[in-house]
Amino acid sequence: MVEHIINSISHLYPEIAITLTLCVALIADLVLKKESHAIGWIVLGGLVITGVLVVAQTGRELSIFSDMLAVDPFAVFFKIMLLIASVLVVLFSMQSRELIDYVDRIGEYYMLILGMILGMFLMVGATNVLLMYLAFELTSICSYVLAGFTRRSLKSAEASMKYIVYGAVSSGIMLYGISLLVGITGAVSIYGINEALAAGVEQPLVLLVAGLMILVGLGFKIAIVPFHFWAPDVYEGAPITITAYLAVASKIAAFAMTVRFFKVAFLDNGVDIAGALPLVDAFNWSVILAVMAALAMIVGNLVALWQQNIKRLLAYSSIAHAGYILMGLVVLTDEGVSAIMIYVFIYLFMNMGAFYVAMLVSNKLGTEQIDDYKGLGRRAPLESVAMTVFLVALTGLPPTAGFIAKLFIFGAAINAGWLLLVLIAGIMTIVSLFYYMRVVRNMFLFEPQEEAGLLNFGLSSKIILMVMLVPTLIFGVYFTPVLEFARNSIQIFGL
Amino acid sequence: MVTYLFILFATLAIAAALAMVLNRSTVNSALFLVLNMLSIAGIYLLLKAQFLAVVQVLVYAGAIMVLFLFVIMLLNVEDEEAVLDKINFRYIISVILGVVVLSYLLYIAGSMADALPPVAEDMAQVGTVEAIGDELFSTYILPLEITAILLTAAVVGAIMMAQHKFK
Amino acid sequence: MSPELVTSLIIAFVALFVVLNTAAIVVFAERRLAGFIQNRPGPNRVGPIGILQPLADVLKLLFNEDITPIYGRKALHTIAPIIPVITAIAAIAVIPFATGVVASDINVGVLYLLAVTSMGVYGVTLGGWASNSKYSLLGGLRSAAQMVSYELPMGIAVASCVLYAASLNMVEIVDSQEFWWNVFRNPIGFVIFIIAAFAEANRAPFDLVEAEQELVGGFHTEYSGMKFGTFFLAEYMHVVIGSMLIVTFFFGGYHLPFAGYWLPEMSETATIILDLIVFSVKTLFFVFLFIWVRWTLPRFKFNDLMNYSWSRLLPLGIINFVVIASAIMIYNNYFS
Repeated sequence: MVEHIINSISHLYPEIAITLTLCVALIADLVLKKESHAIGWIVLGGLVITGVLVVAQTGRELSIFSDMLAVDPFAVFFKIMLLIASVLVVLFSMQSRELIDYVDRIGEYYMLILGMILGMFLMVGATNVLLMYLAFELTSICSYVLAGFTRRSLKSAEASMKYIVYGAVSSGIMLYGISLLVGITGAVSIYGINEALAAGVEQPLVLLVAGLMILVGLGFKIAIVPFHFWAPDVYEGAPITITAYLAVASKIAAFAMTVRFFKVAFLDNGVDIAGALPLVDAFNWSVILAVMAALAMIVGNLVALWQQNIKRLLAYSSIAHAGYILMGLVVLTDEGVSAIMIYVFIYLFMNMGAFYVAMLVSNKLGTEQIDDYKGLGRRAPLESVAMTVFLVALTGLPPTAGFIAKLFIFGAAINAGWLLLVLIAGIMTIVSLFYYMRVVRNMFLFEPQEEAGLLNFGLSSKIILMVMLVPTLIFGVYFTPVLEFARNSIQIFGL
Repeated sequence: MVTYLFILFATLAIAAALAMVLNRSTVNSALFLVLNMLSIAGIYLLLKAQFLAVVQVLVYAGAIMVLFLFVIMLLNVEDEEAVLDKINFRYIISVILGVVVLSYLLYIAGSMADALPPVAEDMAQVGTVEAIGDELFSTYILPLEITAILLTAAVVGAIMMAQHKFK
Repeated sequence: MSPELVTSLIIAFVALFVVLNTAAIVVFAERRLAGFIQNRPGPNRVGPIGILQPLADVLKLLFNEDITPIYGRKALHTIAPIIPVITAIAAIAVIPFATGVVASDINVGVLYLLAVTSMGVYGVTLGGWASNSKYSLLGGLRSAAQMVSYELPMGIAVASCVLYAASLNMVEIVDSQEFWWNVFRNPIGFVIFIIAAFAEANRAPFDLVEAEQELVGGFHTEYSGMKFGTFFLAEYMHVVIGSMLIVTFFFGGYHLPFAGYWLPEMSETATIILDLIVFSVKTLFFVFLFIWVRWTLPRFKFNDLMNYSWSRLLPLGIINFVVIASAIMIYNNYFS
């Protein structure tokens, strides 16, 4: 046992690096001057080291800590995604004007972000329902506090409160579901659950209830309809850096966890399947997931039409995108999973980019209203063009990367025969064009007010913008590397 | 005997849970929750999980619920509309007696159906502190450490949210 | 019934009988000692040297009118005094009085004890709340905060004793002290434990819960008759049981000091009798200490009380625990 644990620790270096960074950030907060972004740089350094350690894990495929955690290409892929998102968010945070007022607790801010990263790393790799729940909860608790970080704004306090109440209830339901699942299968590791299900369970109804309950928790984290009600308010109230993080990173992690859980626990691994979860005869899981995906696309896109606040708009758009990604889960073949991964990769850059421009504008103009974007095209040309590219990508039009993302996910769904779902997705994509283009229209088709001058954003922000803009454009044309990366990373341990 | 105790605890747990939800007075609700937790601790004992039973009482009934009560009393939460407020001592005694009688009736019904499967022999070993400690520090070492970080994050978060003054 | 069950029941009932009577005697002793410390006679009229005073008190309480405040919660008001008595009685179940004399020799004795004592707070808190009086409520709130705060240092101090015994079983903890009492091996733990035990019993200098100068009678302001008497009884039972716990955890229980080195083998009966005497003498000494402290030390301020627990005792206890744990590990690995 001792050898096994020591051996396991040698595959846990990225998580350990994050934990150490977390401790250093908390202590550095007591020692260092707060105004100098020193803690931010420390955190960035820690994340870069973690990145190196994660890349060093490429190609490993094993299970550590008595089947608690899997280190496999699938996990490595998502860890890299999460790290890119985290580095970007830390960079955003160092520029955010919202956070300057709270500079004396910035150490706690970074500490909680690191806590979230740790939680999400574990979500991505967890193969034991106990660890899955703990990781899920670690991520959630950190994000509740972060959502309420700018406490003097009432909206932020409201966001935090709503998030906690909603999150506590749904994770409670999920925990109950997990306990039922453990009760009927007698196993806590998802491999054990799979074996028990393959041998057949006596109570299919309980299994159905347990699965639905677990889906409630996961659906909350992904913000899928009908568990999305928290999302717009929280996204609006939270500091914009955290909004971006919630919309991208925690969603990605939850998708990774969902894919691993469903694929390993509920699929019959011996049989080659196309688009079904044949192990569980009690109920057709694909249909439930498909209905949820369709609802998310419909509700997200339609409600977004009426939004006046850019953060709320992006919130509804991210609900809709969760719907698109969920289509990949409905399919759940290797093709579907790789489509999810491609989507996630591209979604990361385009959504982070959109939030970044929104943050820059809010830094300068102090507004998040879409009406106030009027004439921005003249005052901040580069940023406006970048925003346009991001929004076009979010819509899914060529030649941006968003088109590639949608192409693969629609393709996977069509191959699996989900034509109706793809039809809904297509129609909703067209609907989404209206609200995304409303922002673009405000920026370019209106004259700026007379007194409004050119906005100067500084070199560093332009560089960060480019980091997101270039992939969004390049991968729209030259997408082979993404495809290769995703296809090489679909190997899940135990399958 | 065991069957009877199980039915008693189970009935009591359900009755207390119902009473907790239905009661209009917040303090009474909290107290019924304590009763519910104690009955569940009793069920754990019947399953020979001594450690779990004692920790259930120590942590939930003894610490968490005291803080619950503390907050309820401190905030002086007004009762909801007083419908069940007529609860008096006799009422509570009669409810408890009712539960006892009901559980006895259920016991008779249960003994005819032979409902309860026996608790596995080795449960007495599994439920001890030593066994749980062994498992926690070998198989479940990673979740244990993650729990530590989770609690750290929760404490930092709670302090951040509760702190009134900041520059 | 199995023979073990019968033995357990007999031990439990005898212990209960003894503890209840001791509590009554302690009430009398407290008043006489208070008189002695304050240089006045104390109660000396009822019977020879006033020995029948407790009986007279009980008679008086029985004839008092039993009052529930008009907007108070009658049910809770009635239940509240019973709770601390129940927890005190329940604690007796795991205390070993002599070799082999323990009502219930369970595997998780220490945790059971902590769990049971932690339930005692409900009585005081609910009594304070159900009285519908601001003094009572303040007393109740204070007790909730105080008891939850002092449970932690108490638990940590007990945990440092558990390290020596490597068991949560009370009998094994006592037997681990056959050669060296824990008070010699773990003096800091002892100090922490005794302070926490005083606070848990709501005794001076931690009797903020009653604090007659500020709160009239504290949580029992609105209690009269036997309900008050029950609270009163519970307080003294907690004094007795607190003393028993101090003896059990730190003063070797029923063992004489360094008994393992010099005490010869004796017959079973002789051992039990000697053990009982040793245990009783030690317990009575600590009961005396409880009374002595009460009439000697002034009361804490409430903020000091909380600070003292959270920012002094608890960190000290944790450091103590870690140091002892490391010392034991080093000793076991390198010296034995």
